[in-house]
Amino acid sequence: MQILASIAIDSVTYGMTLFVIAVGLSVTLGLIRVVNLAHGLFAVLGGYFAWYAMTVWKFGYVPAAVAAIVLTTTAGLLLERLLFSRVYRRSALDQVLLSIGIMFVGIAACGAVFGDGIKTLPLPPLLSGPVELGFRAVPAQRLLVITCGGAVVLAMWLAYSRTKVGIRLRAVVDHTDAAESIGIDSRLFYAVAFALGAGLAGLGGILGAEIMQIEPFYPTKYLVTFLAVVAIGGLGNIWGSLGAAMLLSGVETSSKYLLPSLGSILSYAAMLAVLSFRPHGLFGGEEGE
Amino acid sequence: MELRSILLIAALALSVTSAAADTIKIGVIGPFSGPFASAFGAPFRQGIETYVAMNGDTVDGNKVEFVYRDLGLGDPARARTLAQELINNEQVQYLAGFVFTPNALAVAPIVQSAKIPTVIFNASTSVVVSKSEYFVRTSNTLPQVTVPVAKRALERGIKKVVTIVSDYGPGVDAEGAFKRVFEEGGGTIIESVRMPLATTDFGPYLQKIRLQKPDALFTFLPFGPPTFGFVKAYSENGLKEAGVTFLGTSETQETDLQALGDPAIGLETAYFYSGTHKSPENEKFVATLAKIHPGAIANPATVSAFDGTRVLYAMIKATGGKRDAEAALAAVKGQAWESPRGPIKIDANTRDIVQNVYIRVVKRDASGKLINDEVATFAAQPDYGVLFAK
Amino acid sequence: MTQVHSKRLAPLELAVPLAAAALWVIAPGQLGLLTQIATTAVVVLGLDVVVGYAGIVTLGHAAFVGVGGYAAGLLALHVFAEPISGLLFGAVAGAALAFLTGFVVLRGRGLSLIMMTVAVAQIVLEIANKSRKWTGGDDGLSGFEVSPLFGIFPFDFTGKVAYVYSVAVLTICLFALRRIMRSPFGLTCVGIREDRVRMSAMGCDVSGHLRLAYALGGALAGLGGALSAQTVQVVGLHSLSFTTSAEALVMLILGGTGRLWGALVGTALFMTLHHVAAELDPFRWMFAIGGLLIAVVLVAPSGIVNGVLGKVELWRERRAGL
Repeated sequence: MQILASIAIDSVTYGMTLFVIAVGLSVTLGLIRVVNLAHGLFAVLGGYFAWYAMTVWKFGYVPAAVAAIVLTTTAGLLLERLLFSRVYRRSALDQVLLSIGIMFVGIAACGAVFGDGIKTLPLPPLLSGPVELGFRAVPAQRLLVITCGGAVVLAMWLAYSRTKVGIRLRAVVDHTDAAESIGIDSRLFYAVAFALGAGLAGLGGILGAEIMQIEPFYPTKYLVTFLAVVAIGGLGNIWGSLGAAMLLSGVETSSKYLLPSLGSILSYAAMLAVLSFRPHGLFGGEEGE
Repeated sequence: MELRSILLIAALALSVTSAAADTIKIGVIGPFSGPFASAFGAPFRQGIETYVAMNGDTVDGNKVEFVYRDLGLGDPARARTLAQELINNEQVQYLAGFVFTPNALAVAPIVQSAKIPTVIFNASTSVVVSKSEYFVRTSNTLPQVTVPVAKRALERGIKKVVTIVSDYGPGVDAEGAFKRVFEEGGGTIIESVRMPLATTDFGPYLQKIRLQKPDALFTFLPFGPPTFGFVKAYSENGLKEAGVTFLGTSETQETDLQALGDPAIGLETAYFYSGTHKSPENEKFVATLAKIHPGAIANPATVSAFDGTRVLYAMIKATGGKRDAEAALAAVKGQAWESPRGPIKIDANTRDIVQNVYIRVVKRDASGKLINDEVATFAAQPDYGVLFAK
Repeated sequence: MTQVHSKRLAPLELAVPLAAAALWVIAPGQLGLLTQIATTAVVVLGLDVVVGYAGIVTLGHAAFVGVGGYAAGLLALHVFAEPISGLLFGAVAGAALAFLTGFVVLRGRGLSLIMMTVAVAQIVLEIANKSRKWTGGDDGLSGFEVSPLFGIFPFDFTGKVAYVYSVAVLTICLFALRRIMRSPFGLTCVGIREDRVRMSAMGCDVSGHLRLAYALGGALAGLGGALSAQTVQVVGLHSLSFTTSAEALVMLILGGTGRLWGALVGTALFMTLHHVAAELDPFRWMFAIGGLLIAVVLVAPSGIVNGVLGKVELWRERRAGL
């Protein structure tokens, strides 16, 4: 029983982190329909900006996180306006090449500016150290991740169901001309959606910094993981991403506890099985590239 | 287009670096960029330059020049290509470096047929040195540093251990060596876990170990993010408080130690070099390093390169600057001297290194810096891998 | 753009050995790099069949490369070390794996297809890692020697025989592929890529056809892997890695898909730049490569070869006064 509860906590933590980072990619791939293999760059930039704010500007944890998210969102906006928007109508392979190029440049820039080593985000005393839950100690930071992840999910649900944002986004993507004719600025929507995805990734990078360490090669290390979440969740399916993140994280965490000798074979086999039976993702998604 | 200019400049640069007469070139292959640069690549260079600073850049009138080639990861094909280039184009007389075992193994046939003495600055799998008559190693082997950990654990009365290593060559070697010695000494291995190399979240593994309640865990992980993540997870999941001792080898090496922070305090490791080793040689070494590279941290790779350069110089001296691989090797086989790490010797048969292995515990020194404090010494440890294989 | 079969004095593929001979003269010290370019080009040619012609985007091509490499290495180590048999064995291994996994993988579309190819490659990598007794695991498979080519030419450390060998294999592959891809088989692949539904309606066995194309790509990848194993005499897990797959795809897109020449140009360009940039500035070669990729995408749509051909077309049209 202890093991099950442990698996649950660790897997929800990891899953939340994956979701917050990958949801932007799902939106980019599924709704905006542009391939961005450099998405992990936004996550790691979030971590780097936060580190910088804490060590150089001497911000506290929360102000630094906020500043970092703002900076990452801006970075996303700039990249979208300057580079990605030019390739919206180009082939997927061109977008692959462009985003890989951006990823490489991003890695080199991070390495040049911040150095090759890992950057840790010093946690405030409230958040460092374990919290005794009786049957095991949970690092306090993990509880923060779960809480924040839940808040993000809640916020997105509210935004989608209570506002017209969700409907408009779909309108813009599916019927651009029609949407524009009633006054919706599609370029603005693309830019905002992309930038928000980047900002969320930045938040995810900060939250996940303990288990997905901030170092220059972050974008390549976790690319496959993020893409897996999007593929299994269904392109553009935001709730699907949540489910997929939880599923993937659950499989990985369980196998660490129960079948460590199989390593990551189980996760990949699971992915293979799911996708071969449900090519549009477990929960269905957009017919995307 | 810019590309053409880049290539043009490159071609010019390469042609200009052709050798002058009487210069002896030594090719150094290592990770000078990428994730392993700070733990190995930069220290290699610094170790070489420290030796040169202390002993000059000529040997009996022959100028010595080091040619560096970057190889950031285990890529045997590229390792071989680089070695070929260095031998055929740069006309190097010696090769040095090598962090990853597959890279060293890949160049073995070439250095053997081209008769190029090669000094290995890191690759620690036992079998490497046996792959060519012209290999010499100045770093360590995994069994060499693992056996003392197990022996010490037995001395301390530790009875039950969980081994948890990264699932790759060195990790499996370390697990094997530890198990063998620990079980022979009467200890019990509760479980042997192998974690995928790509693991980033170590919490679940450590949680499970905590539930299993061993006296200690023994671990081996590659440098950088994995070690980092593991040590943090060890601390965050309360294993120290639960009484599970941390036994390791290279996890607390100096370049990453400060970044580990408080979680590292109390960790016990066995390794061949600590930056705070008390000896006149080490003091001189560290001082010279600080002078030519302010801010550089002396770590095991630095010392391995430093001693390796000494071996290279000895070979050049013995051959009078001429190409004579047999004479070069004959000169260094069996040589013993006092390195900054302590007394070392190059085994006359295996060409591998025989050295002291120290048990260290991490603590903060008077200035608040984290150090590997040597608490016990296992003298003149050979490569146990060779002995086990018999 | 289908080309009219003009009468040529000699096949265009001869450009490859001619260029190789020229390079031997110009840059005799770079034979190691040039050999690696040749062996990688074979792999990327296979990728072009899969991605460029059949339209199957894959990031798991490395699985076939590694399998071919290990097959050739194990054959040389345990059975016999004749090089050509090693090549064939590697090609068959790659083709077999591709064909079998094609049954599962080709059910997907778009991103799910890509992720399945990644999953397969990662599983193969894990299995290779765990089978240390056979593959050497992390240490790599080494210690095998390759017999002299045709019994006469030994593979020595100067790398000359290896170079000629690799270039010859590359030329033969290019020769064969150009004909295969112009045959009904190749044209069907393109047809499926352009409009799958129409091809199916015309009675084509789309899945079967794609599996064959995938297997052909796998065969070439295995061949390239075997070639690399023989010329370098080590096989490492790196050959199965995601990086290898991704780099191959980048090289292909850079040069241009669907033309076979694009595979050669892209490979040569990428690997040369990597080599040069790593020497000039070992620490940040990624800046150079990343910059190049961005520049190519913005300046030369559809890759370099197509971009160049496009400019040539434009120039011709202007000359003709259109």
